[in-house]
Amino acid sequence: MRSSDKELLLDLLVMQSTQAISDEENKELQKLIKVYPEYNNYEFDEITSLAHMSYHLDDNRSHEVLPSELKSKILNSHKQIDSLSLYKIKINEFVRSLFDQPTYAWAITVLLAIGISFSMIEFKNYDSNFRYLPLERVLLQSTSNDLVKYPWYSKQSDFAMAKGDIIWSNKSQKGFIKISGMPVNDPSKNQYQIWIIDPLKYKQPVDGGVFNINATDQDIIIPINPKLPVLNAKAFAITLEQPGGVVVSSQELILTAPELRPSSTFTL
Amino acid sequence: MASLAINQSNYLSKSMTGSKKTKKLEDSILFSLAKEEAGAFEKLVNQYGNLIWSIARRYLSNQTEAEDAVQEVFIAIWKSAGRFDPNKASEITFVSMIARRRLIDHVRKIYRHKKLEPIDDCFDDDALQTKSILDQSTDVKIISEAINQFAEEDKELLSLSIYQGYSHSEISKLMNIPLGTVKTKLRRNLIKLREIFNQDQHSIVSINNA
Repeated sequence: MRSSDKELLLDLLVMQSTQAISDEENKELQKLIKVYPEYNNYEFDEITSLAHMSYHLDDNRSHEVLPSELKSKILNSHKQIDSLSLYKIKINEFVRSLFDQPTYAWAITVLLAIGISFSMIEFKNYDSNFRYLPLERVLLQSTSNDLVKYPWYSKQSDFAMAKGDIIWSNKSQKGFIKISGMPVNDPSKNQYQIWIIDPLKYKQPVDGGVFNINATDQDIIIPINPKLPVLNAKAFAITLEQPGGVVVSSQELILTAPELRPSSTFTL
Repeated sequence: MASLAINQSNYLSKSMTGSKKTKKLEDSILFSLAKEEAGAFEKLVNQYGNLIWSIARRYLSNQTEAEDAVQEVFIAIWKSAGRFDPNKASEITFVSMIARRRLIDHVRKIYRHKKLEPIDDCFDDDALQTKSILDQSTDVKIISEAINQFAEEDKELLSLSIYQGYSHSEISKLMNIPLGTVKTKLRRNLIKLREIFNQDQHSIVSINNA
């Protein structure tokens, strides 16, 4: 290997610690790391972190304060995750202790089967359990490596105040809409409907479920429930439809994400 | 970046080059967090919340994106707390390494480079607390002194890249110097900075152990 390869490796390592590198650069980096195993992927992370803090200390303007609402949100999310983990640990310990007594093994198996059935019912309803949605959204964000995220763009003046974003993971077939400033709808007359555009697989946008807005002044999180498996979601849209939604929409788009969508992908 | 999650343990153990320090693991918030002590997570948020938020705002000018990213950072720190070793890096370095890595990762995910918006001065008591945490960090002091010895152009280059988050090609245009020179200077200066840091760490340990 030439010394220029080593310099290229070091340049890429510096880049990786200071900016978002492209997939091509990452491939090159991984290739070179195999040739020079004395280096690791995060070679410059410690020194760049220290340098960052040093500049941060000198920059009086940079000392912002964590917003109190965000702080509460972080603490609440942690509490929820913590209690869920604790619950799982307790259940595991309980089941393990029961299985230590072979006499009860068959009875426990039957009980577990019944329990799983109930769990499936609970699981089906899980996404509609709004209390867990902020947590679910954060977890999807922190655990998905194929996550896409776009802000919503209003296509109609009545919805100009609507703000928020959408996250989606093809692998998990799961996503969430976060939105505020949407006009309240009357569910007996109409409902908002989510559309997923997957042009490689479907000619028509895929129905992502319907939802209602009952408050405009706060962030509302809505899970996306695709009615068909999505291969590669390229864009998203929201329309206002009859209660229950429609299979193919003829209504005008209210919001889209991203703003500059590929023209070939929208047939709505 | 899937490799990040997979290699995080490796990353945390391998990348901290600081030599042995005589700090007690038991004194750290991360140790309490790993032991799942009541109130430890809240302590973490109180201690490092402002710092992480400030760093996030440097990378992400969009408020919503910054909020999401900061939540992810705290979950990542919580998950990694058990791997913290004060003999390899100070707690604040460990925390900011995870924060920076996660934030760069976040920028990569959204494929959108930040444009820095002017940040209003909001230098209140809470912000002073962040400043105080950093002031107390010996590691940060060593690096600050080392950077101050650098030539003005090198200082600016490091600031643009590490602190202000500009890419190498953006810096090349901003400073009107060839891209190759930007890369070479950054690489050399970071290696130099690391050598100074490691030397100073050794001398601190020698004094402590004397």
